[in-house]
Amino acid sequence: MVKARVREAPLWALMLASVWLDVVFVPLYLTGIETIARAPGTQGIYAAAIIHANYTHSLGGAALLAAIFGWVGAMAWGRRTGLVLGLVVLSHWVLDVVVHRADLPLLPGNAGHFALLGFGLWRWPMAAAMVELALVIVGGWLYWRAARAVSLAAQRSERFATLTGALVLIGGVAVLAFDVTGVLG
Amino acid sequence: MAFILGTLFFVVVVGVIDARLPWPRPRQPGQRR
Repeated sequence: MVKARVREAPLWALMLASVWLDVVFVPLYLTGIETIARAPGTQGIYAAAIIHANYTHSLGGAALLAAIFGWVGAMAWGRRTGLVLGLVVLSHWVLDVVVHRADLPLLPGNAGHFALLGFGLWRWPMAAAMVELALVIVGGWLYWRAARAVSLAAQRSERFATLTGALVLIGGVAVLAFDVTGVLG
Repeated sequence: MAFILGTLFFVVVVGVIDARLPWPRPRQPGQRR
């Protein structure tokens, strides 16, 4: 969706920004600093977790990681792209607030012991999956529309744009399907 | 595993293919509009 509006931002950097909090979460998870627990009464893998990611997924931690990512992006591609990349990193936390059960702290390490945040859409896994699917479809369509427009403006065939748009859509649906079914663990 | 494969697919595969499209180039630091 962002690529369709901020066309100069590299897609790979936008994609990496969107999962940056989870990328940083992986080593902390592997070292036991951040953990995942099964939510009571859940089955399967999708939407079944309470995630104790008190550093990477606290609002303060996410803001810090967004600032670092945005700063590196600004160094590479200018302030506007850097700002957008930072906001994309932070959007991960905002969307997590919608789906997570209340497990997201305000400050790193849950300092101050404020109330944990999360509206808990994951309590209704099918609804959460439908929202994700809608985002994938709308995002894929917006991307294809922008890719087609820049191709035609450059007097190039739109076929390559359509191929890339199809990859975005198929990849998004496939990742969601793997998540929901737990096929890949 | 889905997270790792999905991240690699979008960042590497789609990212490389997307870079061949004629998107406007990012403005370099210090470059005037």
